[in-house]
This record gives sequence, structure tokens and C-alpha cells, in this order.
Amino acid sequence: MCGIVGLHLKNPELYPRLGELLASMLDCMTSRGPDSAGLALYGDDADHQPRMEIFKDVGLPREICERYGVAKRSGYQGIGHTRMATESAVTTEHSHPFAPAENMALVHNGSFSNHASVRRRLESDGIRFVTDNDSEVAARYIAHQVGHGADLGDALRMVLKEMDGFFTLLVTTATQFAVMRDSFACKPAVIAETTDYVAMASEYHALASLPGIGSATVFEPAPEEVYTWTR
Amino acid sequence: MTETLPSSLPLAESTPAPALPADARRRSHTFPPEVVAQIQRMADEGHYEIRGWGAKRHLPTFDDLVFLTASVSRYPLEGYREKCETKTVLGTRYASKPIELDIPITIAGMSFGALSASAKAALGRAASAVGTSTTTGDGGMTEEERAASKLLVYQCLPSRYGFNPKHLRMADAIEVVIGQGAKPGGGGMLLGQKVSQRVADMRTLPPGIDQRSASRHPDWVGPDDLRIKIEELREATGWEKPVYVKLGATRVANDVKLAVAAGADVVVVDGMQGGTGATQDVFIEHAGIPTLAAVRLAAEALREIDMADQVQLIVSGGIRNGADAAKALALGATAVSMGVGPLIALGCNSRTYLQDGVEHDATADYRALGTEPGYCHHMHTGMCPVGISTQDPRLEARLDPEWGTRRVINYLKSVTMELTTLARACGKSNVHNLEPEDLVALTIEAAAMAGVPLAGTNWVPGSSDCR
Ligand code: SF4
Repeated sequence: MCGIVGLHLKNPELYPRLGELLASMLDCMTSRGPDSAGLALYGDDADHQPRMEIFKDVGLPREICERYGVAKRSGYQGIGHTRMATESAVTTEHSHPFAPAENMALVHNGSFSNHASVRRRLESDGIRFVTDNDSEVAARYIAHQVGHGADLGDALRMVLKEMDGFFTLLVTTATQFAVMRDSFACKPAVIAETTDYVAMASEYHALASLPGIGSATVFEPAPEEVYTWTR
Repeated sequence: MTETLPSSLPLAESTPAPALPADARRRSHTFPPEVVAQIQRMADEGHYEIRGWGAKRHLPTFDDLVFLTASVSRYPLEGYREKCETKTVLGTRYASKPIELDIPITIAGMSFGALSASAKAALGRAASAVGTSTTTGDGGMTEEERAASKLLVYQCLPSRYGFNPKHLRMADAIEVVIGQGAKPGGGGMLLGQKVSQRVADMRTLPPGIDQRSASRHPDWVGPDDLRIKIEELREATGWEKPVYVKLGATRVANDVKLAVAAGADVVVVDGMQGGTGATQDVFIEHAGIPTLAAVRLAAEALREIDMADQVQLIVSGGIRNGADAAKALALGATAVSMGVGPLIALGCNSRTYLQDGVEHDATADYRALGTEPGYCHHMHTGMCPVGISTQDPRLEARLDPEWGTRRVINYLKSVTMELTTLARACGKSNVHNLEPEDLVALTIEAAAMAGVPLAGTNWVPGSSDCR
């Protein structure tokens, strides 16, 4: 009951337009998630180091993007989420993206069915949670695996083994942009790739106004397949 | 103390009872007619009542819990198209050859002696056909059950009857039995009528004499020495086979932790509804705690010592159907084990039995035991009307092993289908992903025992958190 979008820019000429492109993609996902919204934007700082910033809040995506001046922001990749809460509260903390580790962000569409058990196991490993949101469990699970040396693709494949339910996940790190769907692939997802960018959204119309979309390779990610792009 | 079985005194010719005066309807709560009858029986016979089966009194059970299945916030799986995994692995902690089951439902330990050889073999064949294990019992392993069972758990009991290194090595797993839910703290019992020559030979005891097994293991008492015993069993079997420790559910939290400390790969917790071939009625009805409470305590204990991922939990005691199994799994069991259920599938308490392809009515035989089909708990007598719990060749012939095997297979399959139906409806592609958060309770007692909220509230009695 949520919408997710993501943009991974390959062509640096598009970097100044990251915020503008993502904000309009996110706006298209309003009907999927009018409760709250959020974005994680990745850019290079003055020392050419990657830097991730999270903007999330309660309200409509358009208002939130305006509040944080998202359209004016530049960067090399970003992800966004519009939320229709299922089992946990509508607050800023409960909104996506979840940032379980430095420069890591996750957005999720779907519903996990065994998150309470996975949370208990992570808690017994000393992992602390901020919310009772099921998506935070996936985020912390992935961060935990990566923290123990797994690469992002392997960590996502472990999610397929450990976590039950329905999910489309979009996860980013400073260098990677990864998409994965569960074995049922019920929660929608579409990817468009050109020489300039990789874009992902819950519904195609969020991609429709991207530059050069007419010549993009557009496909639906297959179930249980991890798609990764690296900067 | 020498005891005799109840002898039935001839009753005096009774005269028809006159119409009841009003006072006769003032039933005493403390001394109702059943209690009066019990006291009179004790006065007649001078000893406690011995019987088979499990607790018959009303107890909080899994029936007091219901599932919060999927709807809008969670999504269900399709019953016929989408797989719901039931594979179960037991003994991953130390054993080099863990037990791999196709379903999380096993057959509990029941002895040859309590049951006939063909009943044991039928259970073994049925378990093998559905990919699960069966278990020996007091008195050792029979060739028939070893041959019939693909996966056989060999019990190590206080009596040591029929326990030997040869069979130990022939087993697929070893179960150290410390207690049984029907009689935690008590030993086994096999009354003389069932001690046939073969049973006696296997136990190296005289035939026809009542056998009472020890209530404590003779070579160890307590967890420190249990550790040595477990090591000895592992060494004798090359560290290959999982070692289970079976407990009657009483001080569950402590006992589970101690069993793990002593080196168990698998802990089996048998609640007070668990059945038995024979024991004191007072034991069956007044010792131990209900399975519902036991499973939560055991699962919590494993989590507290951070062993829930390494040590598997089997829960038994009154498990009847897929709903019971699903609830036990949700509360933290890895598998459930059943005894009475499969016996009923074999024909226990059935009005009829099949012999030489012909259906016969056994009502008169039930009546001769003082009971009716559907109410029988007379395993201890050896006079089983349907040929299951007997050593009498005439009665044994009443169990058609092939027919019985088919029925137990059907039963185990049905239970599994019920289990996966509920799991799918909860959105699980694996039955082991059921969790306590999928359940709510219908009574305050069950909510407190299972540690789940009372339906319609977020109140978990006895806990500081709400959900
Ligand atoms: S029918 Fe046989 S197996 Fe069943 S309770 Fe009676 S004696 Fe026991």
C-alpha cells in the first residue's frame, strides 16, 4: 500500500536535475501513499565524498518536496517512498526511507508476514529498532548482513530466505542501487534503463516524463531476482 | 506394596429406583456422584485407579487461541498454487546427521508392550510414507518397527528395559526420557496381563508380572550427570545422531535450560494432556501443566539463553489436528509429536474393527471393560477391543495393519493440510514462519498462558507490554 521510486544517474550532466526528476516521480505515487513520504538523496560533498541525506515527513509528497526544496537538489542517485500505513503509526519515524547504516537507505512496498520473529532474532544480536515498522526489520536485517561482510546482493538474497511475505525492495548504498521482488512478485515494479540512468517505480506513469524514456529499455523485474547497478 | 487389579464383585439384584425426591437433585459440588463413586471404588479396592490415555478434565487448550489471518494489511497465499514449505530439520546443534522430516509432525514414543507389534509397525509404515519419524518406547526396539520406520527415534528410559548398544546404533536419533506429560515424576507401568513372553524376554523380566519402571534414571540424576550420559550416548554413536531430551511439563523454563546446558540437540516438552499406556489416574489429572502453557515457557526459555536457533523444540500432549500443530509452531515449537491421535486413526475407540475384510462390532467388548466406544481409556488392561494396545494374539488379529497404516497416513496428511491451510492464510510460505503475533486468545487464562493478547484487546495478562 505504498509507492516507491528510484533514480540512479549514469550521466553526470543529469546530476543537477536529480531532485527535480525524483520529486515529480514521487508526486505521481501520491495515490499509493498519501499519509507520508520521504526521499534519500545521494550526492558528492565538497571533498568528493558520497553523502546521503534523508528528507521524510507526514503529509502529501508534493508538500514534503516543497518543504525541503527537493526539486533544487542535485546528486547522483536517490530513492523515494509514499506511504499508506498498514500496521504501524503514521509518523515521520515510521516513514520511509529507513537508513539502517551509514549511506544505506531502503524503501519497501508490501507486507512482511514474519517480521516479529526476525526482529526478535536481530534484537537478541543487539540490534536496536526505532519503530515497530516491518520495513525497518528488513532494513536492519540487510544492514546487519552487510555489516558482517555480505555484499548487498547477497544480503538481499538472504532476505528471500529469512523473510516471508510480499515485498518489492529498493535499497541503495553510496555506490549501489538494488531492486528485488519476492517470489510472488505481486507488488508492482517497473524498471527503465537508458545510457543516462536507471529508474525504478511502482507504476510506469511515474517514469513516463523522464528524459529519453521513449528509447529506454523498460522491463518488469522478475521474482527473486536481484538487480544491482554500481556507480 | 502389592496391588491387585480391580475385581468386579457380583452386584446384588437391584430393585427399580423410586421417583426422585426433590432433595436428590441438590448435587454436591464437593462430593458429586462421580466423586462418591470414586471414593466407593477406593473403599472397595484399597488402591488408586490405574488407567491409560491422557487427562480427561477440562483444561485451557489451543482451542482457546485463534489466528489473525491475512486480509488487507497482510496478504494470504493461494492454497492450491502457492507452496507452503513443511520441511523440518531436527538436531542441528551437534549431530552430524540431523533428522530431516517432510512434515513437522512426528509420532511420539509408545512402547511395544503397551502396543502390539503390528500396531507399532503400522505407525512406523505410516510415518515413513509421509516422511516423518516414529519413536520406540519403554522396553526397547522391535525388528518390525525398525524395518517399518525410515526414521526411528530410540528412547533411553530410566527402566533400561531393552536398551542396548546394538539398537542404539540402529536408531536415527536418541531420546533421553526424563518425564512424560501424563506422569511427570513417575515411571512407566505395564500390568502383568500385557507382559507376554516376548515382552518379558525383551525386558529380561518374568512374564505375567506387573512391571513398574523407575521414575529416575539409575545412572544419573540432575543436569550435571545428564551431561555425562549424553556424551556417552554421542560417543557410542560417533556424534552422528541427534540427542533429544524429553521432559514432562512442570518447571518448564528451568528444565529446558538445563536440558540445553546438558547438551541436548532437541528438547521435547510433553504437556499434561499427553497420553500413557498405564498410570495412576491421580497422576494424569493432577500433575504437570497444560501444553498451551508449556510451549510458550519452553520457547521463551530457549530465547532467553539465545539457543532458539540451535536447539529445536518438539511439543506434545493433546495435539489433535492442524490447528493445534499450527498454534504450537506459532508459539515457538519446531515440530509437534502425537500419540493418542494416531492411535485413534488406527482404530482406537472405534465401534468396529476390520478382520479378514469383514467389519465387526466391538461394542460388547468395550462394555465388558466398563466403557463405550468413544470413551475407552483401558490400555492398561491389555484387553483392547480393537487390537491396538494388547499382547493377546486373539485381539491383536483385530488390527488389520494395512488398513491401519492407510488410516494413519490419511490422518497425518489431513493434519498437515490443515496446518498449511492456516499458515497460507497467515501469509506464510513456510509453516515455520508462523509466530505468536499471529494469535490472539479467547479467554484470559489462555492469553496469560500463551502470552498473546486477549482477542479484541491489546492486553496480555501477566505481561507489562501491550500489543
Ligand atoms: S480402544 Fe484400545 S487403544 Fe483405545 S483406549 Fe481402548 S484399550 Fe486403549
